[in-house]
Amino acid sequence: MPPAGRRLRAERLAPYALVAPAVLVVVALRLYPLALGVNFSFTGDGERDGTAVGLDNYATLFDDPLFLGALRNVGLLVLLLPVAVAIPGLLATFIYLRVPGHRLFRGVYFFPAVLSPVIAGAIFNLLLAFDGPANALLGTVGLGPVDWLGDPDVALFAVVGVHVWATFGMALVVFLAGFATLDPSLLDAARIDGAALPRLLRHVIVPGLTRTIQFVFVTTMIGLLTSMFGLLYVMTGGGPGGATYLPEYYIWIQQGQLDRPALASAASTVLFLVMVVVGLLQISLLRRSGRVD
Amino acid sequence: MRARWLASIPMAALALVTIYPLVFTTNVALKTRREYVLDRFSPAGSPRPDNLATAWTSVGMGGYFATSLIVVTCAVALLLWLGSMAGFALGSLRFRGSRALYLGCLAALFIPFQVIMVPLARTMTTLGLIDTRPGLVLAYVAQFLPFTIFLMASYYAHVPPEIVDAARIDGNTLFGVYRRIMLPIGTPALISAGILDALFCWNDVLIALLLMPSAENRTLMVGVTSLRGQYSDDIPTFAAGVLIAAVPVLIVYLFFQRHIAEGVAAGSTKG
Repeated sequence: MPPAGRRLRAERLAPYALVAPAVLVVVALRLYPLALGVNFSFTGDGERDGTAVGLDNYATLFDDPLFLGALRNVGLLVLLLPVAVAIPGLLATFIYLRVPGHRLFRGVYFFPAVLSPVIAGAIFNLLLAFDGPANALLGTVGLGPVDWLGDPDVALFAVVGVHVWATFGMALVVFLAGFATLDPSLLDAARIDGAALPRLLRHVIVPGLTRTIQFVFVTTMIGLLTSMFGLLYVMTGGGPGGATYLPEYYIWIQQGQLDRPALASAASTVLFLVMVVVGLLQISLLRRSGRVD
Repeated sequence: MRARWLASIPMAALALVTIYPLVFTTNVALKTRREYVLDRFSPAGSPRPDNLATAWTSVGMGGYFATSLIVVTCAVALLLWLGSMAGFALGSLRFRGSRALYLGCLAALFIPFQVIMVPLARTMTTLGLIDTRPGLVLAYVAQFLPFTIFLMASYYAHVPPEIVDAARIDGNTLFGVYRRIMLPIGTPALISAGILDALFCWNDVLIALLLMPSAENRTLMVGVTSLRGQYSDDIPTFAAGVLIAAVPVLIVYLFFQRHIAEGVAAGSTKG
């Protein structure tokens, strides 16, 4: 039996012992690299490795048409965001209202969400091939074949479409969890009043789910900006002609293929800032619209 | 009432669109090359499992599969252990600095891997962990630990504090409370977190690509990305390889669909 004093001190320190290993891992392999990366972005590559170069990397970035194209694509994705949120939102509404077959729909819709982007990309490489099922379907209604992944104007939309196919099940589940917190009597009252669906959405569902909608907006945006790599890598490799570059793919190419870690770090820092800015904008916009209702 | 039936029709069409890509791929995987070239839509005449065997052996998918299995198992075990300890401390105990630590964890949740991947690769090289399984395990643990802690902490926050107090009065140390009380109580959350973490690690391609450059260390998903180049003129074998990589995940989905959905929902509603 150790003396009481030492036991007490051990007990006081016990909570810290419980969190210590986790804190160590998170600090060493997430927070420290973040600081290191920002630091890296102000140093040179190649012959100037390790020397301070000020904002040179950032100047290089904003002169690089590939990087500017990647940022333009981010703008496009942000514009597509409402669509990517509305689809699972509406589907969840119908499932919640128990349309015939809602159980089956729920199970089927969620299933692509567990597939790796690599597998989704590989499957759609087959489907979107020039002589594949997608063009065959268009052919039956008399539309010419589309070069889904080879046409610079179409390729990004094709990849985003696959991303939505592969992820909307997650958002659907989040929406359904939000619906579970709604007061059912509100909906029943609205139904008895004979409220049509658009009114129901506007006056009961959207105001009741403000927090869920915010959450889905933010997570969908993070998904669009940071989990498209697998699809880009398998489906387009950033092509055709750099048309499907996104910042994350640019970072990968500069770091892994062209051996320019400092430039890649600068791109990382820009991506991080873009995410922070878009996230804050979203939250303030959504807050304001929430108050208007 | 009639309106609900109307909604069912486009939803059923969408369900078909959701499921068809996998049906098509499965069908292609069971065809011969000749059947595929002649007509890619007809059902496979006589289903041929030898494409699967070819993909498994000649590409070396068996080896990739083993690497993935070992790495994911170790990563998930570590994630659950560290995540439940920290989650218990941050979710149900109050101590100096606990709030700050919790917020730090939440902040780490929002650092995308792309932002830290360059310095992380360098750090791993310095530590001599690049291109090794332990290195990849550590990277996965670091990547998904904030999420795991968050899930466990929000679960433990709903456990009545009297339970902890009573166990302390019975003479348990804090570690005793964790081991004898909190781990068993936390089983549902541990299952949800474990399955989600396993899916994240299993499906990852970017981290594995970055930290495992040599061919013999490929994980299964990185292996799938290399299939395309090898089988560009043999689509059925390519489809078979893709199918092999998808099967474990589909099995997990069929058995644990409820747990996966619960984990996703818990992560969203308690935030």
